[in-house]
Amino acid sequence: MDDKKENRTVIEAEVPMGTVHPAALEPYRLRLFVEDEIVRDAEMTVGVNHRGVERIMEGLPVEKANSLTEKICGICSNIHIWNSCRVAETALGIELPERAMYIRVIMGELERLHSHLLYLAHGCEVLGHETFSMRLFYIRETVMDLLGMIGGNRVQYGSAVLGGVRPRCELDQMRIQKITEGMDLIEEKLTAFADRFVSDPMVMSRITGVGVTSAEDALRLACSGPTLRATGVKSDLRTGMFEYDPFEFDVITQEDGDVKSQLLMRVFENFEAVKIIRQAIRDLPDGPITNRSWEMKDVPITKSYIEAPRGTLYHSYALEDGRVRNSVIRTPSMANIGAMQYSAIGHHITDAQLCIVQCDPCFTCTDRAIQIIKI
Amino acid sequence: MDLIYSLIAVIGTLVVSFIVSLFLPGIERKFIHARIQQRVGPPITSPGIMAPIKFFFKQTITPESPMPRLYNALPLISLIIIVILLLFLIPQMYFLGALASIIAIIGLLKVEEIMYMFMGSLSRSVLSVRMPFPDRAKGAAHPETPRSFFEDLSSLRAFRLIAFGSFPIYIALFVSVAMAGSIYLSDIIAYQQIHGPILFTVAGALGAIVFFIGYMILLNEYPFSILKGKPDVVEGPYLEYAAKYRAYVYMTRGFLMFTLATLFATLFLGIAPNILNPSFIITLIVALIFPMLMAVMSAFSPIFTYKQFYPTVAAVSIVGVLAIVAAFL
Amino acid sequence: MSLKSYSRGRAVHVMLVYTGGCNGCDIEIVNCILSPKFDAEQYKVFLTWNPREADVLVVTGPVTKHNEQPLREIYKAIPEPKAVVAAGACALMGGVYKNCYGDIPSEEIAGPVDKIIPVDAKVPGCAVRPQDVVAGLVSALPLLLDAD
Repeated sequence: MDDKKENRTVIEAEVPMGTVHPAALEPYRLRLFVEDEIVRDAEMTVGVNHRGVERIMEGLPVEKANSLTEKICGICSNIHIWNSCRVAETALGIELPERAMYIRVIMGELERLHSHLLYLAHGCEVLGHETFSMRLFYIRETVMDLLGMIGGNRVQYGSAVLGGVRPRCELDQMRIQKITEGMDLIEEKLTAFADRFVSDPMVMSRITGVGVTSAEDALRLACSGPTLRATGVKSDLRTGMFEYDPFEFDVITQEDGDVKSQLLMRVFENFEAVKIIRQAIRDLPDGPITNRSWEMKDVPITKSYIEAPRGTLYHSYALEDGRVRNSVIRTPSMANIGAMQYSAIGHHITDAQLCIVQCDPCFTCTDRAIQIIKI
Repeated sequence: MDLIYSLIAVIGTLVVSFIVSLFLPGIERKFIHARIQQRVGPPITSPGIMAPIKFFFKQTITPESPMPRLYNALPLISLIIIVILLLFLIPQMYFLGALASIIAIIGLLKVEEIMYMFMGSLSRSVLSVRMPFPDRAKGAAHPETPRSFFEDLSSLRAFRLIAFGSFPIYIALFVSVAMAGSIYLSDIIAYQQIHGPILFTVAGALGAIVFFIGYMILLNEYPFSILKGKPDVVEGPYLEYAAKYRAYVYMTRGFLMFTLATLFATLFLGIAPNILNPSFIITLIVALIFPMLMAVMSAFSPIFTYKQFYPTVAAVSIVGVLAIVAAFL
Repeated sequence: MSLKSYSRGRAVHVMLVYTGGCNGCDIEIVNCILSPKFDAEQYKVFLTWNPREADVLVVTGPVTKHNEQPLREIYKAIPEPKAVVAAGACALMGGVYKNCYGDIPSEEIAGPVDKIIPVDAKVPGCAVRPQDVVAGLVSALPLLLDAD
């Protein structure tokens, strides 16, 4: 980072944490440069997961390419397919029925719930607390059952299609009843868990003041999403998205930018997600859920930004003869992970692992071909 | 006749202790951890008995180590040291004089701790530096830094733990010495026959708490398991053990849990382990309660880093010193 | 039933290796072992992260180039008898990445798992269901029980 810092720090040894490691849910390589167990520098290597999804998308018909983007990540799968459909819909001018927009929002918020609960469970496991991790996995099962009920599969449910939502994802009375019960159950259990978590002095002493990122650093390193909001910057793309216009929710921020803020950030966002889903269920308009009357034409490169559970997600492609050309996907974890390298400096090795995990990294999303443009 | 009774007492106590200790990991896992984590849990015999037996039937591989045979011998040495420790607690062995005293026990515990350090410095696992990855490519940061294995890191931590982590248990051992006025086990037990168990005095109660924390530190159980914590060093010193040597590692852990609880019963309740004496039941009950309490505490804690470890050990040591002072009053 | 096969059936140690892929199968397998709802420990299946302790290796993901050597090393480090379970469509035939840059093995993906290490049980699905993973593990057990 600074040249001055480089001259004064002494690096004794390097501790590489490999592609296969218990704290890593995905394969990545982390090299920590330590001096007497305190981290002085860190280097993360992404790119172990590159599978060439953008290359496969080149030349595929649009519907197929959209359903392929879902396989980029298993945790945030819905948001990829939603955003990909959104690009084509914006480009071709397809009008979405209102009921379809509401159902897409419900699926998006359910996915936010399950992703944040998984992050909290993984964070507790890196802390060493197996009991809390198991309790969170148990709460998460309610959300997985709801997703499986609506989409058909617990993971990778593929609900969005061009023009709306798949016919299977229609919400009838029984499903609405189950969603309502599920939301009540989650709110009650999550409140109990949050109270227990915050009042535990051992856990709080482990996470307070660890891995601090200041707001200026976060903005400079292009963080986005909950990672940025935990440092105090109020920036949420959902306030600008047209699908979220009918809903009322708060943009949550925390002040400190340490691991405690990141964890509490996700807990409060879960409550907001429950609020949005309840509003959507209450105000669900009638009507069709798919709009099949649109025409294909050639369009230039169109962009779409959306708020994923981890930050700002960007998709863009052009359409030629009904096929996808030049697709670019940029996930939020790309910048977040880079920023976390700097937050680990100055801490003990066990805390450094916690600092890397605090930004909710999704390495499988991140591995694309990258071209860095200096601005 | 006397000699035969003594032999039966010694060997019988050792055998029964060993068998009971094989059940301890299973009880810890099934009745405590699984209940707290709201799940069913494995059968009692699986983690403690069936797992070591299964490991005996696996292929013996040469561990990756600069001295593989010394590395493989270390768990067996550990097991033998704990057997000797239990041996010195049995009343029939008190004729050994100074070997059946607090000094000998402290010495044996110290050797036990040093084992971790040796194991750590001799192990080179595939999970750390040996993982094949093109790290030192062009543009990598700091390409000439020497690389250290996880086990070396563990070894460093074991060294620190030897330096300050053993304070609580040693101070707790000296509480009973202060009350009985002698370092010989036979004198400590005789004192408690006359004045009642040390546990029921103020000094003894404080000493018991300090002993319990020291017990957890010595066994590297959850809040104090920085030596072999999953998030960074995976398993620490034990990484390269496979097949029958891993079975020894498993058995050593259960046996150490049992032996330290027996030490508590001897020093704080005045009941020496002796199978010919009906008070052996109390030794067994204490040996069951201690791991269960430890499991409850470990199910609800994260791993402590040095930031929390140092203050905890300091606070517990101060309580221990207060207990010794109270013993003299 | 000899002591050897009885004890091998009462304590099975499983190690997970993630080799690229979308991470959906990995979360489901972690779910299956760490979540109280599925809890593989009641079936005497324990999770370990050390190849020296493992009996069964569960592999997910199409093996990407950087993960090929680590997978081979970890497979070599497990002592006999061992079994390998390949879970998920990517591990079985490459999943949706099958035709990237041409047929796999290609520049990016070193091929499905059975081109690199021998596979004993195959669990299909995208993503696999936790119940199927447990069934797959149990079906690989007979190979372990009587092997010498």
